[in-house]
Amino acid sequence: MGRLVLRRLLATVPVLLLVTAGVFALIHLTPGDPVDVMMAESVDDSVKTTLRRQLGLDQPLYLQYAAWMGKLLRGDLGRSIRNGEPVIENVGRRIRPSLQLAALAMAISLVVATPLGILSAARRNTSVDRFGTTFALFGICMPNFLLALLLIFFFGVKLRWLPISGYLDPFEEGLPGLRSLVLPALTLGLALAAVVTRTLRSSMLDALSEDYVRTARAKGLSESRVIRGHVLKNALIPVVTVLGLQLGTLIGGAVITEYVFALPGVGRLVVDAVFARDYPLVQGVVLLIAIGFILSNLAVDLLYGWIDPRIRHR
Amino acid sequence: MRASTPDADIDRRDFLYLCALASGALAPGLSAGTAGAQTAPRKGGTLRVGFYLEASTMDPHLSGSKVDRQIYHNIYEPLLTLDVKLGIKPGLAESWQQPEPKILILKLRQGVKFQDGTDFNAEAVRFNFNRMKTEPKSVRKGEVASIESVDVVDAHTVRLNLRRPDAALLATLTDRAGMMVSPKVAQERGAELERNAKGAGTGPFEFVEWVKDDHLLIKRHDGYWGKQGGPYLDRVRYRPIPDDTVKLQSLQSGEIDVIDYVQPRDVAGVRADRNIVMLDVPSLAAFSYQLNHTRPPFNVKALRQAVAYALDLDQIVKGVWLNVGTPANGPVPPTSWAYDKTIPFIKRDLAKAKAKLAEGGKPSGFAFTITTANIPINVQEAEVIQAQLAEAGMTAKIKLVDAATQLSDGNSKSFDMISYQWSGRPDPDGNIYQFFKTTPGTSLNWSGISNPQIDALLDKTREVSSQAERKKLYSELTKILQDELPMVYIVHPIEPKAMSPKVQGYEPIPDGMMRFKDVWLKA
Amino acid sequence: MAGSIRGSGIAETAAVLPSPPRVRGRRWTVLRQAARTRLGPLGVVVTLATIAVALLAPAIAPYDPVKQDLGNTLARPDRAHLMGTDNVGRDVLSRMIWGTRVSLMAGFGSVALAVAAGGMLGLLAGYAGGRTDGLVMRLMDAVLSFPPLVLALALGAVLGAGLGGVVIALGVVYTPTFARLMRGQVLTITAREYVEAARALGAPGWRIAWQHVLPNASAPIVIQASLSVAFAILAEASLSFLGLGVQPPGASWGSMINAGRGYLQQAPWIVFWPGAALFVTVVGLNFVGDAVRDALDPRLRT
Repeated sequence: MGRLVLRRLLATVPVLLLVTAGVFALIHLTPGDPVDVMMAESVDDSVKTTLRRQLGLDQPLYLQYAAWMGKLLRGDLGRSIRNGEPVIENVGRRIRPSLQLAALAMAISLVVATPLGILSAARRNTSVDRFGTTFALFGICMPNFLLALLLIFFFGVKLRWLPISGYLDPFEEGLPGLRSLVLPALTLGLALAAVVTRTLRSSMLDALSEDYVRTARAKGLSESRVIRGHVLKNALIPVVTVLGLQLGTLIGGAVITEYVFALPGVGRLVVDAVFARDYPLVQGVVLLIAIGFILSNLAVDLLYGWIDPRIRHR
Repeated sequence: MRASTPDADIDRRDFLYLCALASGALAPGLSAGTAGAQTAPRKGGTLRVGFYLEASTMDPHLSGSKVDRQIYHNIYEPLLTLDVKLGIKPGLAESWQQPEPKILILKLRQGVKFQDGTDFNAEAVRFNFNRMKTEPKSVRKGEVASIESVDVVDAHTVRLNLRRPDAALLATLTDRAGMMVSPKVAQERGAELERNAKGAGTGPFEFVEWVKDDHLLIKRHDGYWGKQGGPYLDRVRYRPIPDDTVKLQSLQSGEIDVIDYVQPRDVAGVRADRNIVMLDVPSLAAFSYQLNHTRPPFNVKALRQAVAYALDLDQIVKGVWLNVGTPANGPVPPTSWAYDKTIPFIKRDLAKAKAKLAEGGKPSGFAFTITTANIPINVQEAEVIQAQLAEAGMTAKIKLVDAATQLSDGNSKSFDMISYQWSGRPDPDGNIYQFFKTTPGTSLNWSGISNPQIDALLDKTREVSSQAERKKLYSELTKILQDELPMVYIVHPIEPKAMSPKVQGYEPIPDGMMRFKDVWLKA
Repeated sequence: MAGSIRGSGIAETAAVLPSPPRVRGRRWTVLRQAARTRLGPLGVVVTLATIAVALLAPAIAPYDPVKQDLGNTLARPDRAHLMGTDNVGRDVLSRMIWGTRVSLMAGFGSVALAVAAGGMLGLLAGYAGGRTDGLVMRLMDAVLSFPPLVLALALGAVLGAGLGGVVIALGVVYTPTFARLMRGQVLTITAREYVEAARALGAPGWRIAWQHVLPNASAPIVIQASLSVAFAILAEASLSFLGLGVQPPGASWGSMINAGRGYLQQAPWIVFWPGAALFVTVVGLNFVGDAVRDALDPRLRT
């Protein structure tokens, strides 16, 4: 098992190399550079030239890439051009809100989707099922900024139940912190719930049609015992897969939610960095997001393979 | 601050009343705290402010962003300050004199200490100016270019020796170029100063902490030298809220107390909202479009004029800006002493536009691209302009870009017509010189205009010191600019600020900066 | 998940799990099966209606979608303007109708690109095997792990912010999904006995691809494609939030929602109608995809 993990980890290296080349090329192709943005109101051109030289931006691209890769191999992600702080610190600050948001969103999705998914499968083709599938469909098809808009409007402005912008750390501020995350987590969580409901329903149906279930039923076990005892455990596996895959996406991908709710997360960090052409920050954060995505995929794959031996040696 | 009612006239009357009271003040904000207030100022409370952008640095000498200034005006202080009529008033400098055009002597206020305890004196002033001129990343270099050297005459007197006469210098010293940073902090902290400004200023508030993209906190400086008026607030907490709609909604739901700008489309609604106080603050800003003189089609003057005649500024200001602003006749805003209201803005004249098209060799019209920033109001304005131009036979394509691309296109002169927003400076020089003076290489002169007559006039405005004479020069310039059209000016916006009725004592100054020294919160 | 541009992870898991064997000729049965579920046909009807609207836009739109009327902005829906007017007085209904073209182009265009590119890469990887397979799949993994929004944003800045940039960006984002799918199909199908037999008889690779692989791979690709089109249409709406996509004064449903966001209290119809159109179209596409998938999956046929 250990050797398998090592082998898979080594296999990610070429992928990451490709990502570094890709992000470097892409961000350097965009028009403008960080000095333009930082010195927008400056009337003195010589300051810009000096700064470019200091930052190494006047070197040919391949040399800049080599320099960055050299630093990377030593474990140094470089410093943000805009605020001079190490990239890793910038990310470290922003990872907390993103992780908390993702965790809360996943929790909400499980709370909503688990009963819905189970019931939809158990009571297939009844009104419960139809409600479940309809909810799932709607959740997937709703544009998430539209959902955010509506949630803000009703819960924030009209009812004034929940704060609509800003971030308070639940670990430091307790309940107000949790409240500040509720609306954005709902936005992401409801959409996620839709996906989870479908997955759970589909995997429950799969599991329910397995032979051992028929055996259990023949043995006289009640339906709920059957479900709780055997089916649920197996049905949850694809759910874990889906959630694991989504985690990778949630961290760097909840950009619009972060923007609308003014949360200082990783998604906004990287998008703002793109707008500011902050090369080291964009490159570093994209790389970290890619690593996160790959690792979470790997973890899910291994978990899946370990649980379901039929798939293990693909 | 009385709550605003749907009647706009009352707002204006309040504002003028405040101006009348404040114009007699020697120190800024002295009497505004008592204007219209029912009770005495109360110490305490945290003011929560929502801004649209995150600040970029806490070092005023390295700052190039407008948002930074908002914070600076509370923790740092400039040598000179502005009153509500944009007149120049004492700041950290009590008085000044110019025995000759190339010498400026500043007498500094005594007994002032930086928040770290060190003295504010002439040495500190010299240190600051040198820093602005020599620090590699300094953005102030151009602003203090006219200062050759700084002499310490005595502990509280400084002499600035100028390279050339600079009539705009006094106004420049009311902003970042005049802000004094504690030499001890600057030397000890170095680059850290950009993120941590504790103890660095002399202002009524002191920097506490800054959590990027989350909040910036400043607290009352109890050792502040000013004994009249504030500061009253315990703390001010700035929060960047990039989404305009959410920002306003945060104010409406009571999560924040002040916002820096109300979008024109929200103005009517906010005015009618009894839970929010809105102030119409005329600004120094200008929205315009630069035309590229260095390549076709706009290297031909007649075609530029065709565009100007095809635009209907009235319709744009009414339809897009919803009258939250006035049509512009040129770079000088109506709030400035140099504003010449006898010069009308260019009125729409389709016949003249067509004639100019013919004169420019394109009688059946021509096509070009409008590059504009990707902000809702810019988009709307560009769409309206596109329709207006079409009626005169010109086909404009709209190209939306992000800020970095806009800057890059402008700097490299790869555009036909590009949108430009300038936040404005108190002295007209800051709104004019760098845009129209012939400058080789990359500069703020995006249009690439090089006109000896304009150049001569620009230099003269800096040499002459009498305001009346300078005003005449600026009027002349405005007329030439309307003819040469390096820029087509559209509007001087009003920047409405909105706040909770609990906020008292706020005095708006047309430079758009929110100073909280005399602000207090009702219980 | 609507928030993520790439869409739900379901499609990815589907590509990884083994698919049951297919035989050509069951396609008709499949269609009949899909038709038996009530939602499938509904989805088809909706999708066809949307396409029709897009094609007939010049004929059915009551007004010029870019004609402004600054004297009649934010007007409530009435007989003259069935869905009201927007912030510069343009007719919302006409803009919605013309916006159908943009949204469908974004959706179908990007997926077409992804199917073509991904299909070719998948075929290449599946057939060539060994080093080429490894290289292609690594490349696909790299694209997959790149945050899609950043990719779209950067590509938009490089290629220009218009619709073309968005189509290409989304095409790139979806390519790995189809590449993986195609490769998986190639591997499964070429391992079957009748293909082995054909090869033993000397049939060339491309003939095998044409006769056996493509027809059998088409079903999962069609399912995935229909779902991806739905996601691409939603993604275009999300990207317009960041300023990418159709340039003004053109309209897409996403850009209309975005522009109307600030007027939600005064004029909710600007947001409501394009939002509804977006929703209905995406739901319809999902019905189609779901119905075909349900029909093809024997396990759910009880």
